[in-house]
Amino acid sequence: MVKRRELFIFFLLFLLGLFFIYTYNEITKAKEAIFERIEKHEIAKISYVLENMQQQILLEASKHPSKDLLSFFQNKKNAKMYEDMLSMMLTSDVKYSYILYKDTKEKFRFLLDASKTDKANFNQKFDVSSSEYNLLYRTKKPQIIRGQYIENLYITYLHPIMQDGKVVALFTIDFTTDIKTIILESIKPLETLFTLLAVFIVIFMSMTLMQIFHYFITRKKIFTDPLTKTFNRNYLEEISPLLNLEHYSLAMLDLDKFKIINDTYGHKAGDYVLSQASEVFKDSIRDSDILVRYGGEEFLLLINNRSKTKSDIDICERLRKNILKEHFSYDTHEINVSVSIGLHKYPYLEKNLQEAIKIADKMLYVAKRSGRNRVICYDEKASREDFSSSADISFVKEAIDEDRVICHYQPIYDFKHTRIFKYEALVRIVTRDGKIVPPLAFLPQIKETNIHYKLTQRILLLVFETFKNNNKLVSINMNFSDLINPDIEETIVRNLRDDQHLASRVTFEILESDEIDDIELFKEKINLLHSLKAKVSIDDFGSGYSNFKTIIDIEANFLKIDGSLVKNIDVNAKDFKVVKSIIHFAAQSNMQTIAEFVHSKEVYEKLLLLDIDFMQGYYISEPKNYLVESDELFKIL
Amino acid sequence: MKKLFLLLALALSLFANQSKSAIQAQILEKIFLNIEMGKEIVLWSDNKTLIQEFEKTGHFKTTDDCREATILIVEEKKNLPKKICNKAVFVLDYDLLRKIPQSFGSMFWKKGRPNIVLIEPRAKKQRITISKELEMYNEEKIW
Repeated sequence: MVKRRELFIFFLLFLLGLFFIYTYNEITKAKEAIFERIEKHEIAKISYVLENMQQQILLEASKHPSKDLLSFFQNKKNAKMYEDMLSMMLTSDVKYSYILYKDTKEKFRFLLDASKTDKANFNQKFDVSSSEYNLLYRTKKPQIIRGQYIENLYITYLHPIMQDGKVVALFTIDFTTDIKTIILESIKPLETLFTLLAVFIVIFMSMTLMQIFHYFITRKKIFTDPLTKTFNRNYLEEISPLLNLEHYSLAMLDLDKFKIINDTYGHKAGDYVLSQASEVFKDSIRDSDILVRYGGEEFLLLINNRSKTKSDIDICERLRKNILKEHFSYDTHEINVSVSIGLHKYPYLEKNLQEAIKIADKMLYVAKRSGRNRVICYDEKASREDFSSSADISFVKEAIDEDRVICHYQPIYDFKHTRIFKYEALVRIVTRDGKIVPPLAFLPQIKETNIHYKLTQRILLLVFETFKNNNKLVSINMNFSDLINPDIEETIVRNLRDDQHLASRVTFEILESDEIDDIELFKEKINLLHSLKAKVSIDDFGSGYSNFKTIIDIEANFLKIDGSLVKNIDVNAKDFKVVKSIIHFAAQSNMQTIAEFVHSKEVYEKLLLLDIDFMQGYYISEPKNYLVESDELFKIL
Repeated sequence: MKKLFLLLALALSLFANQSKSAIQAQILEKIFLNIEMGKEIVLWSDNKTLIQEFEKTGHFKTTDDCREATILIVEEKKNLPKKICNKAVFVLDYDLLRKIPQSFGSMFWKKGRPNIVLIEPRAKKQRITISKELEMYNEEKIW
């Protein structure tokens, strides 16, 4: 609002300034026009009188025997008569009035001088320097000589005396007038007023400009994140009502494993990496794109799609690659960072910006879960239908109420004995029209809500029911918040306390990447599971920030190595070494290891070189809604 | 001749900024540079301001003693030294040409314009040669 008001005032002052300049210019023009009119009027009057006098002189001279003016005015009587007549023209303004002629030697001489002062003699030579005298003889037309300040002469008016079509002499009237000075004096207060007004306007304009400048500085401060110098959420709120989402794609960016950087090198290092990474982001996007620090290490990028030079996915990929090849050095440490990006190509299809952000955030979650350092793009309208229908809490609630929550089971393979060791239970929701919705479509929305706990409870019951009457082993995913939920605890205890046959075949896979802020409580809950004879597995080991001591203390039975480390093991020597180290660490800590994301023969064969205990992945078998048998394995590819 | 014209034109344009004496001195200097009298021109004048202007430019010698002068520049007849009647006289008023017989020329202001009149017979009589540059200012007699 400030901006509009200040700009309006500035615009008003600018218009006022223009008005004054215009008026001042018009007054100056008017002044010149007035002078010109006065001059013309004076000359017209004089010209009229001189014309009459000329006729009179020529008439009288024609009566003279010689008929020429020189002889006519040589006669003192004639000269006196016309001097008197000519002197009638002398006023306070007209100083000199006289008649000149040009002799045979081209010298100008006085024929008659009616001036009261500085009177010349008859036939006395008169030196003229202005070309108008000769011009009058050539053109036979009156001439005006303007000669300000020369002996007080203001205007000299030359009027020809014509005889038989020839110029025989000329009237010369020198008049001085102070009318110009009088007018200038009269309008001086007006000019002073305009000058003062102009000065005031300039001062006000300067003040308004300063206000506007101050406004923009303040605005910049309000809308800029001080650490990364990118826009902040205030800016997003400011522009969102004006933002036409049809012109943008929307990407959510998140620096991978940023918390590890903070925990390992300290918050200053974290801030440094964040600011440097944002510089890389800024260098990787175009001026028309909008980068917003959305919170923590999360950024929102609005990619302008009006320019067709680069597609949104290209920009995201460029951004990801640029971050990956950048090595941040902080306090002798070299820190490598990667970024996961969730991209929503058509945010305008959503109800509003917030909804579009949610979808992009979901894609970011998919990117994270798929091993990080990748761009996951959401642009298929068909999948949009699926996701949007499953995007809210009520979708899950209804599924629970209507008993549409099911589990798929993926085998965990014991390659040493070529048998299925156990199954991992994976939740799915069946839509009313029979479509199967994967967990990524609904889990992020219900995280840490009551529905999430209800869903976990439902899964536990489903799994317990499925495995109650067989001898197969099963893993159930849980996170720390589930584990400490009293209802879930009650469900576990009630079902496993009195059924040791079932309890001994159940493994709880606890996500390592979840924030476990209360280590003692965590240990207590793990001990409870152990006391029930259930087993514990650390899920996604290597993706989070596990305290190794805690891992050892809780005496987990299994370590499931994070898929991001496993999936490239055939091409990435570093990943191979890390997996090898984890296997060694697990063996030393009496834990068995499971490699997930075994998606290809190459990965599988690479893992055979290591002393891994179990493997899981699409290469072996995809999740099924039933418990697959050993002879169904390795058939998917 | 053109030069002198130019000087007059210059005099008119510069008049707003220069004193009347300075203009007068410049015109006179131009005149004296274009006359020849067989001996060095030494100037005396009853107009002390004019003498000061001559001294500034340094084109001509000036003197306070009229006996050392070759040309007397006279503004008023009463200031003309009585004893030295055989010196060439240049007057600063047209009427003085008539009143001082040995005056050979005059520079004066007429109707606000600088005017020059050189009386050719008198100049010849005083063995003063007037260059072609000044021919247009020559007059046979005083009107």
